[in-house]
Amino acid sequence: MQKFIEEEMARQVQEVFKDLSKPVQIAYFGSETGCQYCPETRQLLEEVSVLSDKLSLVVYDLENDAVQASLYHIDKIPGCMLLRVIDGQLIDRGIRFAGIPSGHEFTSLINDIVLVSNGDSALDKTTREFLKTLQSPLLLQVFTTPT
Amino acid sequence: MAMESDYVEAEMVDAVEFLDLADRYEVSGMPHTTINSGAGNIIGAVPEEYLVAEIRRVVEVE
Repeated sequence: MQKFIEEEMARQVQEVFKDLSKPVQIAYFGSETGCQYCPETRQLLEEVSVLSDKLSLVVYDLENDAVQASLYHIDKIPGCMLLRVIDGQLIDRGIRFAGIPSGHEFTSLINDIVLVSNGDSALDKTTREFLKTLQSPLLLQVFTTPT
Repeated sequence: MAMESDYVEAEMVDAVEFLDLADRYEVSGMPHTTINSGAGNIIGAVPEEYLVAEIRRVVEVE
């Protein structure tokens, strides 16, 4: 299969990843059958994960790893989530992607990896204070098109 | 936002691959953000405070 991330892009992303502080694990969920974009998504994530030694990729199967999928609230494939790794502990920062993160979403993925690694949301102080007052689950789903 | 609270989960959804879900929330303009499965909606890329205001509205109703 042809590479998704061309050489020049790989160099740019590597430059961005130089600022990563904590390791980030990308947990990918797919399926061997009936999932059109799973092979491409897995390949894309494999290409991203080798661009920094702070990144790792774990591959799960939605059916075979149903317990893990349920634990991580993954119900769409291809899907992935970003976990911050601190002292070997995986910390779910609540960020997930449903569908192949290519096009605009590729930029979001790279930015989110940096955010999760560095632990800084870059939000306004008032927004942060408001979010701290939440007492029940809040699901934000952002619909985009890849191009 | 997901990073600031353990209660918040943010999912970036490809509207083309998950057309049924996009249809359910009547997604037309992009990006389209739904809050708690349709309890609130934001269409387009808006300033942070607009999104917070819509989240506040949803949280207060619930």
